[in-house]
Amino acid sequence: MADAAVLPATPAARRAPGRFWIVPPAALLALLFFYPLALIVQQAFLDDSGMANVAEFVRVLHARFFLNALINTITISVAATAGCLIVGLVLGLILAFVPFPGSGVIARLIDTFIALPTFLVTLAFTFIYGSAGMLNAGLMEVFSLQAPPVDFLYSTWGVVLAEVTVYSPFVLRPLLAAFSLVDRGQIEAASVLGARPFRIVRQVILPAAVPALIAGGSLCLLLTVNEFGIVLFIGAKGVITLPLLIYSKAIQESAYQVACIIAVINIALSLGLFGLYRFAAGRLGV
Amino acid sequence: MSVPAFTGSNVMDVDAAKIRGAGSNVHFDKVSVAYGAHVVLHPLTLDIAPGEILAMIGPSGSGKTTALRAVAGFVRPASGRIRIGATDVTDLPPYERGLGMVVQNYALFPHMRVEDNVAFGLRAQGADKALIGERVKDSLATVGMSGFSKRYPRELSGGQQQRVAIARALAVRPRVLLLDEPLSALDAQIRRNMVEEIAKLHRDLPGLTILYVTHDQTEALTLADKIAIMRDGRVSSHGPTTELYRRPPNRFTAEFLGRANLLPVTVAEGAAGPKGLAKAKLGDAVLAGAGRSEKPGDRTLLCIRPQHLSLTGDEEHTNRIVGTLKEVHWQGELTHLVLDVDGTPVRVSATRLPVSLPERGSAMPLFFTPGDTSLVPEDVRG
Amino acid sequence: MLVWSRSGRMLIWAAFALVFGVLFLAPLAVILLSSLADQWNGVLPSGLTFEHYTDVAQGAAWKAVKASLITGFLASALALVSGTWAALALRIQDATLARVLGVLFFIPSAVPSVSVGLGLLVAFSHPPLLLNGTIAIVMVAHFVLISAFTFGNVSAGLARLSPDFEQVASSLGARPAYRLWHVTLPLLAPYLVAAFGLSFALSMGELGATVMVYPPGWVTLPVSIFSLTDRGDVFAGAALTIILVAATLVLLLGLERLAGRQTR
Ligand SMILES: Nc1ncnc2c1ncn2[C@@H]1O[C@H](COP(=O)(O)OP(=O)(O)O)[C@@H](O)[C@H]1O
Ligand SMILES: [Mg+2]
Repeated sequence: MADAAVLPATPAARRAPGRFWIVPPAALLALLFFYPLALIVQQAFLDDSGMANVAEFVRVLHARFFLNALINTITISVAATAGCLIVGLVLGLILAFVPFPGSGVIARLIDTFIALPTFLVTLAFTFIYGSAGMLNAGLMEVFSLQAPPVDFLYSTWGVVLAEVTVYSPFVLRPLLAAFSLVDRGQIEAASVLGARPFRIVRQVILPAAVPALIAGGSLCLLLTVNEFGIVLFIGAKGVITLPLLIYSKAIQESAYQVACIIAVINIALSLGLFGLYRFAAGRLGV
Repeated sequence: MSVPAFTGSNVMDVDAAKIRGAGSNVHFDKVSVAYGAHVVLHPLTLDIAPGEILAMIGPSGSGKTTALRAVAGFVRPASGRIRIGATDVTDLPPYERGLGMVVQNYALFPHMRVEDNVAFGLRAQGADKALIGERVKDSLATVGMSGFSKRYPRELSGGQQQRVAIARALAVRPRVLLLDEPLSALDAQIRRNMVEEIAKLHRDLPGLTILYVTHDQTEALTLADKIAIMRDGRVSSHGPTTELYRRPPNRFTAEFLGRANLLPVTVAEGAAGPKGLAKAKLGDAVLAGAGRSEKPGDRTLLCIRPQHLSLTGDEEHTNRIVGTLKEVHWQGELTHLVLDVDGTPVRVSATRLPVSLPERGSAMPLFFTPGDTSLVPEDVRG
Repeated sequence: MLVWSRSGRMLIWAAFALVFGVLFLAPLAVILLSSLADQWNGVLPSGLTFEHYTDVAQGAAWKAVKASLITGFLASALALVSGTWAALALRIQDATLARVLGVLFFIPSAVPSVSVGLGLLVAFSHPPLLLNGTIAIVMVAHFVLISAFTFGNVSAGLARLSPDFEQVASSLGARPAYRLWHVTLPLLAPYLVAAFGLSFALSMGELGATVMVYPPGWVTLPVSIFSLTDRGDVFAGAALTIILVAATLVLLLGLERLAGRQTR
């Protein structure tokens, strides 16, 4: 206790006795989440006799159905995220900088989409873009066609469009927060000086929005990789993603080990993206 | 953990008059505080007498809040002990120290009415209802907020919130009242009024010991019995308020407490006579000022407050220097002049100007009384 | 303020209306319309009817609503307690441990819900921890998936809480438990209500983990919507979706008013 310089000035209120209060919630989470997670990993690398075995793991890794699902998952995720960024940016710019009467209400409405189930949008899209939907019925009537001309809904692009709708609020939310901090005087000064709107967006607004875009974008990557309801509801044969594959292997085929192997890879991918998101959000202070 | 005796006696102390007699002293005994390897309070030894207002003043980051929080129990000293009255509180948690605390942004509990805010401490200590009711009334009356007991904090102005915060701290009959920059969130005008109100509060409760942290010298000069000037985690000077102002022990104190002209001089004769006046030379002029233990030949500073410099001489103003007039700023009640005396800018605050002021750039004499000046050693640090 | 000309602004607003209409408004409108549609073979339904609502009301709807509400309530309540507890307890850990644990408490939100369901099946299908086939496994799945959101919301609230409140309370003689109950929790109330509302909404819409673990007899709204549409009964599915959306919104709005009163 001699040297003043090396002893930390712990706030007295935060000293020792409360340390163990963290145990109950941590134990609960460990039992209900981390323990099952560990079992998934264990199952993925054990064969029926309980011996460590990577052969099955390697086999699944090389299987056609797995590779297809992996490629689908990544394609959809990247495309949907790009879409979310564009839609979020466009809507955000207008809501923040070209506001109209009622734009506040609209912003909140879009925000409540976060709380709605994701499959709602898919269900609606089947009524609009489905083979017997409004759009096809209309086109067939107007142009007297025999077959429905629009069938993108049952492809990767249908999933992407649905995910853009569902997840662009996750970009819009941090973006609007960032825009609210942009100095209005600076924009007005720039336009008084004759700068065109595009220039102002590029030179004043966008730099302020980059952190929000990165954080929102990486969150979208994570959520779209994990998305299940949209893909399940579209139910297109050719559009299988990793979460859907886990579901069908486990529930429909009772192939638990295969399901666990795919889950391990899916979880690894998700945790990687989660790390990216935390890093981006932490670095940029969003 | 057992409840120390004073917590009980705080609550039981029905006699409101008692606080008027019984404050506690606070004793810092070589208290140091460090964050990691960063020492923010170097071993500090300081006493606050019962019933005294000690203003701790210093620039931002000098460790004032840290010292106050050490008394309150929110930072643990790396070394040293803190005593309040007879109790060594160093290892006591904040809630067993029997203090009242008021912070800069008031921190009134927004979900409680004014009366519940004021009652908070007593309720937390388990006092009985009758006592609480009486104390709440009393405390609100003391700060002139009796009519507001049913309001919520957000329905009050800043100044009113500050009064409630003080009433809340007083209601527990604290042994020591800790105030950390209590007025700095207020407008200048309200701040002046509040300073006077706190002075009045202390006249009404003369037994209350107050540690008043501020960076505002006016508040400190108006309120404090004693002042401790902090600099870089150390006490730069400590003493009775008027004493520190009249005879600053170092340059930092002279400049931080009020405005000071500090002229580099060479001591000609050490302090002597009933007034302890020393003589010092500035160029050819020989000037007299209150000295300490300077020896002839020492180089030191002569401290003259701007309001003590006069533009006209008489028998009393026997010190005389000559400077070149640089600037004149008329401000209504006062006129501020800046002169150059041997390369040192000298400020003058004059209430009355001579009939005709010399032109800028020309020489003019300044007069002052030896008793108003003192010799101040140059700070011995980088 | 960015676009000054009237025509330019009109153009931009038209573009906004198009994107907003196609992406956000159309789906909601179409779901509502289809839940009321009699027959829908052309561009618009041939007629309107409440039949689908009465159908689902006679069928599984009320059981599903009940299952969803009970699951949502219990899982959210447990998540609120555990998330608040964890966030409060983390404050008194030393910084490094608090950071590590903070990330661990967030991880459930990053893992695909189907895997959470799979994990629960793998872990709790044998005695002594036999939950598979019980209602409890659904609650557990929902709890795991939403716990991170409550934890995050409450942590954010705590981070925004000025330490002055709690310190002043302590200095006035409030012991930790008294301070927690009379100062910290009331000040956190808006965040607690918001956290509860968000978790409830997430639980109401949860599909991925539920579909893995639900026992017969505890079919939540999303699962019954899926089985209806999977059978081709899309109009009934739409009606049930509207019920789900309405229940969620009523809940969120109610809680928002409650939070508003708290902070008033
Ligand atoms: N929690 C903390 N962690 C690290 N350093 C701190 C902390 N609190 C205060 N300090 C440092 O301690 C020094 C003194 O701070 P403080 O006592 O608040 O000064 P004052 O109140 O005089 O402005 C400052 O340099 C400040 O940066
Ligand atoms: Mg301070």
